[in-house]
Amino acid sequence: MPVAWPQQPAPTRKWVMRKFIHGYYRVLNWLLVGSVAILIIPVSLQIFSRFTQLIPSYIWTEEMARFLFIWMIMLGAMIGIRDGAHFDVDLWPELKPRPNALLRIVSSVFVLMFALVFIWYGIKFVQFGWDQSSELAEMPMNYIFIAWPLSGLTWVLFLGERFLHDLRTLAEKPPA
Amino acid sequence: MTGGVAFSPALAALVLFGVFFGLMFLRVPVAFALGLACLPVMLFEDRLSPMIIFNETFKSYNSFILLAVPFFLLTANLMNAGGITDRLVRLSRDLVGHFPGGLAQVNVVLSIFFAGISGSSTADAASQGKIFINAQVKEGYDLSFSVAITAVSAVLAVIIPPSILMIVWGGTLTVSIGALFLAGIIPGLLLGLVQMATVHAYAKLRNYPKYARSTFREVVAALAVAVPALMTPVIIIGGKVFGWFTATESAAIAVLYAAVLSIFFYREMSSRALYDALADTGKLAAVALFCVGTASAFGWLLAYYQIPKALLAGVGSWGMGITGTGFFIAFCFLMVGCFLDAIPAIIIVGTILEPLARAVNMDPVHFAMVGIISLAFGLVTPPYGLCLMISCAIAKVRMVYVLKDVAIMLLPMLGVLAATIVWPEIILFLPQLVSPELLK
Repeated sequence: MPVAWPQQPAPTRKWVMRKFIHGYYRVLNWLLVGSVAILIIPVSLQIFSRFTQLIPSYIWTEEMARFLFIWMIMLGAMIGIRDGAHFDVDLWPELKPRPNALLRIVSSVFVLMFALVFIWYGIKFVQFGWDQSSELAEMPMNYIFIAWPLSGLTWVLFLGERFLHDLRTLAEKPPA
Repeated sequence: MTGGVAFSPALAALVLFGVFFGLMFLRVPVAFALGLACLPVMLFEDRLSPMIIFNETFKSYNSFILLAVPFFLLTANLMNAGGITDRLVRLSRDLVGHFPGGLAQVNVVLSIFFAGISGSSTADAASQGKIFINAQVKEGYDLSFSVAITAVSAVLAVIIPPSILMIVWGGTLTVSIGALFLAGIIPGLLLGLVQMATVHAYAKLRNYPKYARSTFREVVAALAVAVPALMTPVIIIGGKVFGWFTATESAAIAVLYAAVLSIFFYREMSSRALYDALADTGKLAAVALFCVGTASAFGWLLAYYQIPKALLAGVGSWGMGITGTGFFIAFCFLMVGCFLDAIPAIIIVGTILEPLARAVNMDPVHFAMVGIISLAFGLVTPPYGLCLMISCAIAKVRMVYVLKDVAIMLLPMLGVLAATIVWPEIILFLPQLVSPELLK
């Protein structure tokens, strides 16, 4: 790579950004854990209301479970980019750090493209759901649709962090 | 087609598969490669727009059936965190530890037990890799054998019910999940037996060690401790088959049961372990299911251009019967399984092959199980075999190092697969016996 990337960007700004990204990441993690834990409640209510007379059979349990589930998937997909948890297929022989970083940058560019699609068309998706509400609980559908553009934005943020890391690896001198 | 750009089916297929494989080669995650491959077609074809990606992903995530996936994962994670695995290891050791290659036999038997609780092979490979690989090497087993048997036995988790693959298959191709659960039991146990025989042969040839035989009292004691955990599959499968609960509800019951068991009965669960179990569940379920969405968009485009029909146009004229078609289906899934994760493979290839199976009157449950078993084998075939990758990562060896042993272990398993194709009764016997109304 011909461009000489600065080895150390302005230290304070980098620190603040890192801290922000990591804090955001931890919030997402807590939300994900919360969504998994809460998911069990509406489904259990549904069963207990069918077999016992203790609680009325709420009509919204199934819908609430589905909507939480959608959020769980989208949150996990957001976090998965920072964790490198999305499955990929490695057909390459073991690469040295620099070629490896280059390949990671190439694949990140494509993921970034998909993130931008999620933001651009995701906003249209939200506009489309502007005056829709859910069938049973009459919740605005945008509470759900917003997860798509938000995923796009989150990916851009996490990918940016990864780009910086890989560019730094590229800029490092290969061991003699 | 009206004006502008209109793709012919052949061109659409070329673009879809070309972009997908190209991106995969560049190590773009599969879920994203599938979504990106849809874009050129959706952008340039007049009558389509990328909004289809949103419709299709939303529709696939907005599914009460798939909700069973995180619940099954959570059940397994809670049991792991709650110390249940240790009890099952002890039971397995008391049962088969005195056979030649004792520890490796324990490895296989634990996989069978675990398969009845968990529906995910990757979870099995990860947890057992940590328990067994090092321990086996210390006792004098070869490293490549130890890695291979851990990976290969983990495959059972998606064949013995409950199974995430059965949920996805039942959900996307509308087959009774209860029938699939019952259908998986016999082939799964057969595969387990075949693996134990393979371990036996290895142990005899290479003089692997065995443990002293446990006394009858020890076996009974271990069994008594483990029985509550072993009730989990009974609850899940029974609840589903007898129609008390839906698949998702029975999975939720299993979660509650596992939580009660770990917290009140075995009492080893810390709050940290609970958090980790929830986080692991969310992450693994989410990345697997996210892929369902983009794979569905991809599959939607294949159907839009009627590509499956074009691909299979020649095959229909070969005049294969059920058996011939079965072998063809198994071959396709085995090939695809080398390169693709099982869940997107079901959504894309399963829908492509379904008309073929229907044309020869193959039972949908038979078709499903042949597909699921073949795809399960794909979990240990290179270059993309998740279980093999996980086991190798734990042992810090490269995949090439263990391939020979994996191939040897797979051969008799392929024999079992062939048997299920030739004799559909192996698969259909239990569903017909317990609840014939679930079939057809």
